[in-house]
Parts: sequence; structure tokens; C-alpha cells
Amino acid sequence: MADVVLDKVVKRFGETEVVAGIELTVRDREFCILVGPSGCGKTTTLRMIAGLEQVTAGDIRIGGQSVTHTAPRDRDIAMVFQSYALYPHMTVRKNLSFALELRGLPKKEIQRRIDEVAGIIGLTPLLDRKPRQLSGGQRQRVAVGAALCRRSGVLLFDEPLSNLDAKLRVHMRTELKRLHQQVESTMVYVTHDQIEAMTMGDRIVIMNLGRIIQVGTAMEVYDKPATRFVAGFIGTPPMNFFDGSVTPQGVMLPGDLSMPLQRPHLAGMSGRKVVLGVRPEHIYLRQNGTKNTSRVPATIDVVEPLGHRTILTARSPAGLLQLEAEAMPGLKPGDQVDLWFDLGRAHLFDQADECVI
Amino acid sequence: MRHLSPAAEGSSGLARRMRIPFTQREAPFGYMLVLPAVLYLTAFIAYPFAMSIWLSLSDAQAGAQKWKFVGISNYSKVDSYDLLVNDFVLFDGKPEEAKAFAAAKHQATLATLPDGQRFKGAIVVNGQTIPLVSADNEGDASYIANTILNDLDWQVRGGKVVAHAGDSPLAFGNFDSAGAAKKAEKQNLLVKADTQLKANGTGVAQDPNFGLAVRNTLKYTFGTELVKLFFGIPCALLLYRKFRGRQLLRGLLVIPWVIPIAISGQAWLWILDSTYSVINWMLVHAGILSPQNILNFRGNPDLAMLSLVVINVWRGFPFTTVVILAGLTSIPDEIIERARLDGANALQRFVHVMAPMVRPILMVSLLFSVVFSFTDFNTIWIITRGGPYDQTQVLSTYAYQVGVNAGYLGKGAAISLFLFPIMAATVFGMLQFLRKENM
Repeated sequence: MADVVLDKVVKRFGETEVVAGIELTVRDREFCILVGPSGCGKTTTLRMIAGLEQVTAGDIRIGGQSVTHTAPRDRDIAMVFQSYALYPHMTVRKNLSFALELRGLPKKEIQRRIDEVAGIIGLTPLLDRKPRQLSGGQRQRVAVGAALCRRSGVLLFDEPLSNLDAKLRVHMRTELKRLHQQVESTMVYVTHDQIEAMTMGDRIVIMNLGRIIQVGTAMEVYDKPATRFVAGFIGTPPMNFFDGSVTPQGVMLPGDLSMPLQRPHLAGMSGRKVVLGVRPEHIYLRQNGTKNTSRVPATIDVVEPLGHRTILTARSPAGLLQLEAEAMPGLKPGDQVDLWFDLGRAHLFDQADECVI
Repeated sequence: MRHLSPAAEGSSGLARRMRIPFTQREAPFGYMLVLPAVLYLTAFIAYPFAMSIWLSLSDAQAGAQKWKFVGISNYSKVDSYDLLVNDFVLFDGKPEEAKAFAAAKHQATLATLPDGQRFKGAIVVNGQTIPLVSADNEGDASYIANTILNDLDWQVRGGKVVAHAGDSPLAFGNFDSAGAAKKAEKQNLLVKADTQLKANGTGVAQDPNFGLAVRNTLKYTFGTELVKLFFGIPCALLLYRKFRGRQLLRGLLVIPWVIPIAISGQAWLWILDSTYSVINWMLVHAGILSPQNILNFRGNPDLAMLSLVVINVWRGFPFTTVVILAGLTSIPDEIIERARLDGANALQRFVHVMAPMVRPILMVSLLFSVVFSFTDFNTIWIITRGGPYDQTQVLSTYAYQVGVNAGYLGKGAAISLFLFPIMAATVFGMLQFLRKENM
């Protein structure tokens, strides 16, 4: 069992509180993603799990054992660093075996593990090369391989794909996910890239300003964002937000646009300042039979074809918005259109505390 | 697109080239850009180097109007050979008998015996006459026998009794060739002796001071490099840690390196002064030395050499430290962190990770440091001037002493050129090593 429990963990650098008392349980063999904008404390959290940073307050437990004051090498963890951290003077084989040799494993066992790991991630032809003779993707593999050889209960990843080019990143994403299905380690993975978070993780932990905002599967955080921050962070292009206020008929947006939002708990909230959130894919160019849509007149501003879809930016009385249309909408900048907001799938947040209503 | 027929290409290419005016062609402009550097290198490196080779092959002397080519005689020129005898074996037998033989030394008497036209010099010990040498006349034979009996130290070595000449061997001199010296040895020495042949001449190779200067240069260079590393590595590791005032300390550290030796040399002269030395003062006041036995740093050859080595280390180790420190700081934090996670303790991190990663830059620093020490003139000239009696001469100071102070320009040039092949080999070896590291 290698579950990771963070119990009210706090990290302060001098006066600055980087991690403000987070509570999180990563289950055994789970692929857990910590995601958030830079400076949100996700990397610091990971480094505290690794033991590279001291915990200011709180407790960290791995497999039921408190490791808060345990040296990094005794924590049953391995880590893949952002810069790969390969030893430049060692061959790939030596890079893989270094940690095992330090632990005094028998030569045969080391050899067996290297052969196995090299087979899994395709390093066998590279074993006798030095890191500088490898491409970025190959180095990435070696870094992962070195961590896998350890067979530790927990594998930590610190933005491991951020130094790769876009195409390779997509490829490695898939490989890492497949790898997680093959090995029996708990994985904690830090990224600032919400696509990585969505595609790879069993569960996503969204952090901001040193706090955990929401924990859930990809579809949970996408469909039921807990706050306006999560709603804006997850999804590309980002969700459209419109300031408004609650009326007996629904929500009134700027430009006298009344949105007949039918939510039972809105009754009695009249006059409350709210933010209406609509994802780009939930704004339609046609009414196309969906119930509970609301018409918004707009002028097309920018047309960005992606091939399979087209991103449109438009001006409406409620403000600038983006929507996803089919590949060839036949529109050009300046065209007047009627847009249809899918109110059944819209989100409503409080303007003050930004929590979902 | 230029796959025309050869003739067509040739003619069109030529025609095009001809049309470009000289002032717009790129190649001449390139040569003009490097011309200043070429002129500089020629005037200040190639010319002096060629000149010193020519000087070393000439009989040039300071103030002389004309020089002539004298071949390699500045490098090696033998005028005569001396046969030096260190030990005479007077007795070879059983240990007890040898002791008795040596004990009878004070009763021994001299004797001379006729040897055809010549005379044998002999000593009589316990009634036993032992002929030692053969000489042309009775006086010489007796003189040598007397020297062996009365001036030399008799030592019992197992079953042997040896008359030991030690540091001032007896010399039989002025033979024209090595063969003549060997022949004379066979003819004149009647007992077994430990001999060596000494070539007398004016060439560099025959100059005992030159050999000393080479040994001193090697001591001064390679002896100090290890000590510099010995201090430099721990210092760099200390300064690598983060603490308050680290930047200040780094700045202070390089002071010995940046202060001109002409200035710091004066301080060292006071520290090493024969009368006012602060080291002596401390040792005397600590009760370690009595005032009569104070150390004469610049008067004793060994202490003088040691002082030079210490000063070179003092000057050079900050540079080594700074370079190693630069190497350490260039190691990414993540690699050190990975080593921690991999289970390496502080020592293992240093040995397996940091040291190998610093090694290339360390080699560069070593290279600089070796060249710096090898060609150092200032420190030695300011502190000892090669003294006492030439015992701390290094190649650079000795070349100056012979070539400029004594005026033998040719021989001075020959000495200074000895630096070149040794230096070239050292630098070549280190660069090869660096290239291998970077593969």
C-alpha cells in the first residue's frame, strides 16, 4: 500500500505562505494530477512529498507511515524532474543503476530490472550512450526509466513534459498513461497544463494560491466546477463569463439581455450580483432544437479555423465571447449573427466569493 | 540548379568572378580583418621565439658586436671528464673482522711501494699492507693514501669497511674522454671503489645548477598544484553552502590572487626576514624555538624553497577555489536533488556526482595554474633571487641570471627554451584529457 496523505500541510518561506494547509489523500496506485497556475504551490507540495522541502506544519504519510521528518532516500519514492536531472557523465545504463547500486542491490537484480524497464520504455538500444547523445524525448524516457527502476511505491513527476515540443508531448502523454496501467506505483504528477491534467489523471487536484480548490475526475471538474477559477482554468478555449444580476425571471446581463435561467434555488436571490459562465461549445449558431436556449445578438470579430472546428470571437451586448462552431461556418468578421446560449449547461457563480451557486 | 556542362559552368563562373571589383571581394576583406592579429602574433610571439632559438645556437654575449653560429654547444659542450670516487672498499670479509679492521684505524700507518716506474700508495693496518692507488710519483701516491686514511670517514657496512667520501668525492681529473677516464680508473685504483663520471663543460646539460633549476621548477609547479587542490576543494565546498556574508567572503578570498606580487612580496619579505620575522617571533614567544636557533627562511636552501612553495600556494589557491566554486554552482540543483532521492549521502554525492561534473572545469583551472607556476619569475625573483647560492633558481630565473645578469645571451636562451617542450607536452596532455572528457 502506498497511499499518500497530506494532513493540513503548510509551507512558509519566511513570511510568504506558499502552501496554506492542504488536505489530500492520494489513493494507492492512483494517477493523481496537481494542476494550477504558476505560483499556486503545486510544485512545493510535490517537493514536500519528496522530502526536498521541509514541512512548516502538518503531516505527510506514505503507506500509513509518517514521513514528515524522514530523509528523502528513505521515503519509498522516486521522482522525475522537469529538467530530467540525468547525470551527464554517466551512461544511460549507469543512470538507471545508480540509485540501485547505492542501495546495495545485487548485480544480477540490477541487471534484471534495467533490462525489464529498458524493454518497457524502449531504452534498450540507448543503454550505452551518454545523455548528451540523446534527443529531448529520449532523455525524458531515461528519466522516467531511472525512476521506474527504483520500484518505489510512489512516483512523483514535476512537469516532466514541459521541455518537449508539442508533438512529442502528446505522444509522451499517452505513453505515461499506458505506463501507469503497467506499473503498480501511485503517481503524483504536477503540471500547469490543463490538457495534461484532463487527459492523464484518474483524479485532478486543482490548486490556486496555496490552496486546493477542487478535487475530482476530469469530467467532474469540467462539468461541475466548484468555483469560477476552476471553470476558467479547465477547458480550451476558456469559459465565457458575463457579469449580471439575479431577477425573478432568471439572470439579467448587460445590454438588457434576460437569461431565463430555471434554477429552483435562485428564487429569493433577486438582485444578487452573479457571474454567468457559458463554455464556448455551449454557444450555438442555430437553435437546433436544444431546450432552454437564449438568443444573444452578436457581431463576428475574429475567425480562427482549427480544421475540425472553428473558434469564433464575437462582440455581444453582454461583452466579448468565444464559441466553437463546426469546421466551415461560412462567416467572416463583421457578420451579424444570432447566438444561442445553452442555459441548461450554463454555470452561475457568486461575484463576491466566486463560488458556484 | 548549377548542373551545367563543365565548360559552360567554368566560363560563366570565371566571368562572374572577374567582374567583382577588388574592393568588393570578400576574401581580401577577411584577410584585412585578421591582419592586425597576424602582425601582432608575428611581432610579439613568432619573432621573439625564432630569435631565442637563433640566440641559443649562437655565442651571443651582452655587449658583443658580432655573434657566430656555434651549433648546440650552448645546450651541451663537454671539455673534459672527471672521475669522482665516493667510496673506497678497504676490507671485505666477515663482519667481526671488519669491525676489528675499522677499530685499528688509529694505529694504521702510511706506506708507499714501487710499482714499476710508478708508485703505489698504501696503508698498513694490523701489520697488513693494503695498496690503494697507483700514481706517477711517490708524493701523489702518499698524498692520496693519507687522504683516505685521515680525511675520510671509515664505515663498517656488514662485512665491508668503506672509506666514505660523501658529499665531496675525491676527483681524478681532466680526462679527454670517458674512455680515458675508465682506463685510468682501472690502472690507478687498486681497491674496489664506487665511482662516477662527471662531464665538465660550458653547455647547459653540463651545468649542475641547470639540473637543480629543473628540479626546483618541477617542485615549485607540481608540488604546489596538489596543495592548491587540497585547500581549494574544501574551500569551494564551504563557499558553495548558502550563508550570510558568503558574497563578501568570496570577494575577500581572491585578494591574494589579485594583489600584485610586487606588493604582497614585500609583506612576505618581512614575514621571512632573518631578524624581524613574525613567524620566528611567534615561535620564540611560544617557547618552541630559542632565540639562538631562529629560522633563517631565506638563508637556508630548504626553507627558502619551502617558503616559495607556500607563497605560490597562498597566491594560487584562491584561483583554484573560485574555479571549482564556479564549477559547483554550474551543477543544476535538480541533479543534486535527484542524487539525494537516489540515496546518495553527502560524500557519495560529492564523489559520484559533483566531482565528475566539476572535473572538466577543474582541468582547465589546473592547466592555467600549471602554466602560471611553471613560468613564474616574479615570486622567486622578489623573495629569494634564486638564492641562497643559486639553490632556489627555477628555469625562468636561472635563464635571466645567466642570459642577462651574466651576459651569456646564448646560454640564457638555451635555458629558457627548455621550458617550451615540457610546457607543450603538459598542455597537450591536459587538452587531450579534456577532449576525452567532453566526448
